[in-house]
Amino acid sequence: MRTIDDFTRPVEYLSPLDRSLGEIIRNWADREVIPYRREFDEDWEAHRLIEPAFRRLLGELGIQRLLFPEEVGGWGLGHSDYLGTGAYRMFEEIARADSGMAVAFGVVFWPLLMICMEPHVNWRLCREFAPSFCGTNEPMFCANAMTEPQGGADIENMDLLGGRTLQTTAVLDGDQWVINGHKLWPTNSGGVADLFGVVCTTNPGSSDPEDFAFIFVPADTPGVTQGGAYQKAGMAADKNSDIWFEDVRVPSWYRACGPGDDFKYFKEVISFGSMGSTAFVGGALMNVFEILKDFCETRTFRGKPLKENDDIAGILADFARDIDIIRVAGYQCARMLDRPDLYGERWSEEMVVKSRAYKYFAADKALEHLQLVMNLMGAHGSDRVNDVEKHWRDIKIVQLWMGGKQLCQMEVARWFYECETL
Amino acid sequence: MKYQDLFMFPVEWLREVDRTIAETVSDWADQEVMSGRLEHKEDREALLEPAIRKLFVDIGLQGMVWPEEAGGAGLGTPEAAVTLVAVLEQIGRADTGIGFLFANTFAVHSTFGIEPHVNRALTGSLAPTYCEGGEPALASLILPGYGSLDGGKVPGFSGLTCQVRAASGGGGWVLTGERVRPQCSGVDASLFGAVCEGEEGETLFVLVPGSAEGLARSEPFKKTGLAASLNADLDFEDVNVPEENLVFAGTERLRSALCFYYLGCSATCVGSLMAAYEILKEWSETRVIKGKGQVFKENPLVAALLGEVGARIGISRILVYNLARMLAEAGAYGSGPSIFATATAVFKEVTGNAVGVINNAMELMGSAGYATEWNLERYWRDVKTIQNTVVPETAARVDMARHYFGCQTL
Repeated sequence: MRTIDDFTRPVEYLSPLDRSLGEIIRNWADREVIPYRREFDEDWEAHRLIEPAFRRLLGELGIQRLLFPEEVGGWGLGHSDYLGTGAYRMFEEIARADSGMAVAFGVVFWPLLMICMEPHVNWRLCREFAPSFCGTNEPMFCANAMTEPQGGADIENMDLLGGRTLQTTAVLDGDQWVINGHKLWPTNSGGVADLFGVVCTTNPGSSDPEDFAFIFVPADTPGVTQGGAYQKAGMAADKNSDIWFEDVRVPSWYRACGPGDDFKYFKEVISFGSMGSTAFVGGALMNVFEILKDFCETRTFRGKPLKENDDIAGILADFARDIDIIRVAGYQCARMLDRPDLYGERWSEEMVVKSRAYKYFAADKALEHLQLVMNLMGAHGSDRVNDVEKHWRDIKIVQLWMGGKQLCQMEVARWFYECETL
Repeated sequence: MKYQDLFMFPVEWLREVDRTIAETVSDWADQEVMSGRLEHKEDREALLEPAIRKLFVDIGLQGMVWPEEAGGAGLGTPEAAVTLVAVLEQIGRADTGIGFLFANTFAVHSTFGIEPHVNRALTGSLAPTYCEGGEPALASLILPGYGSLDGGKVPGFSGLTCQVRAASGGGGWVLTGERVRPQCSGVDASLFGAVCEGEEGETLFVLVPGSAEGLARSEPFKKTGLAASLNADLDFEDVNVPEENLVFAGTERLRSALCFYYLGCSATCVGSLMAAYEILKEWSETRVIKGKGQVFKENPLVAALLGEVGARIGISRILVYNLARMLAEAGAYGSGPSIFATATAVFKEVTGNAVGVINNAMELMGSAGYATEWNLERYWRDVKTIQNTVVPETAARVDMARHYFGCQTL
């Protein structure tokens, strides 16, 4: 009997831990998430059901340690050749259960990429933050605060704008940064995150990479205020809110990499974000495949199981084809991030562009197929009890985030066609 | 110019009565729904139920096809198809779910209340409920759907399987069926119009009162959209209905009824498209990109997508009004397989446009498109639910292929 494990995985890219890590995550998802996920939409504010599952994964299973170097109590994946493919596997398995949980999980590590990855490990900050993540069984969350009310995706349009639309400022006052600004939409805001990575400018209006700053701010720092969570069409496990910074003071060494390097390595964060997005899409589609297969084996049209109808089989075939292609492309992206010696730096314009291309391909294709799958399922396609509509709603925001489709298109066109005025 | 006038349609087909009712419903939309939805979102008790009562009872839409002497609006002729579109555009603009409820109610009523098929006995017996009653009286279709391997049911209409079986007995009809899925309002419909499989495999359309003995309703189930529709699965445990509740037998009149249903659902989606247009227009005029002060809609890529959005809305409106005209002028266009195939095609095209346009609008609005606060995402969920619920895609394509290409064995 065909299962989701029959979709292609490029075995020579996988880490020695891939199978065992995948099994741990899948078992966790099957026990802790899938039985409860139909109640997640109503749990969007309280996270009464969502929080225990994270506690188990991040804290009790210790996954939140994985990025920190071994020297500070972590698992050292930031130093390995398998962070990308390992992360891809985990993201897929979690998203199979719930994409909101997958992104909330991924963003735990997202800002930490700035300080845990070779060749720009910030040992001082690793030693300072690691005990919170590696020395406890309590779940710890991070958030990447970048979007601003006036800017939308402009902040991520780095090569074109160079951060000149940033209005969150960081001013060095003695040995402290003083941060002022307003951020929107970070995953794990609304009171979830313990630590923010905040995208700031040290010179408003400047497009000089030296003025782009990435500064860590503990969530309980005086002057930090978070709004209530936004209610959204899906992704209930991903809390998003406003964050205001009013004369927030953090030590000067809380800047991740330094002038010029913050700008450079933040593009690595973008590349990983796009790779993760592709994995979330793939994982959600895996689950839809499982649900759809069962549906098409047990429902009939013209007296035969749906899957035995040629027209329906065509839809099923296109769906399976693109799940496999998304997976292959996603793992290729992950591999490229794992092997900069072969594919170029993770923060290169090429890597940013290609990771965005895979992401928006995956999201667009997924939505096309999910719409057809829901149509195919008839009235039951919209039933929450079948879980397909949930993945449709969740994947929509994957398509929209990180600048959305139009930003991806502009960056891809700019690089491949050497556009000069876009 | 009102934004709705941007999307041209054959205005000469609108009668004065159509304009009057549409204006009344437009005012209802603004006052009873749009003004309250930022605060109440999709709250049934606070927003949707009062709005339904106002529309169905106070404005009297639920008595639309009944003669004036019975307390209805006197629109029991095929010309009501155009009225239906004018009205449902406004309802769908406010709330797609309420539009879907009315599309169902009208479709059920059309089977016995629209010339040349007016059934005086049924209109007489139901007039107190729909013309004099002080409560909203929703009606829902029960249509064939997929069968199941353990169901042992033989496909009937369009390869789909009737959910309900009807046998003679008890002085009328005895209906049986398990886990029957109505199109809407399984919890609170006053009347169901059920497509049933007769003892000889024939297709029967039978009216079933919501209060019929033996009719059991499950708990309401959660779904993607259409918050106004509290739906639940039904069990028909030897439900007995009078002989006269058999409205018609055979598939020809069923196809006629489905034409009105597909028209109503399509018109609802056009209304939703109008609402999405309003939201997207405001966004595109007030946002800037690239930090250069370039107004969003002036960016070529954005404009290209906006152009597609506008075109698809315009085409959808024209299609729906044309279908309405064809149904209104049955003498010129007939009432057979051609009109049914056309109605199916229009439904498929318009709902596809609705889902596609709102998808594009959400893309352009980014996270705002996804947040409930901006009101766009609910239309996305609602039109998608209509697209899924009304007819499975495969069955619709088979219906069209059979007509357009003369397929014999499908």
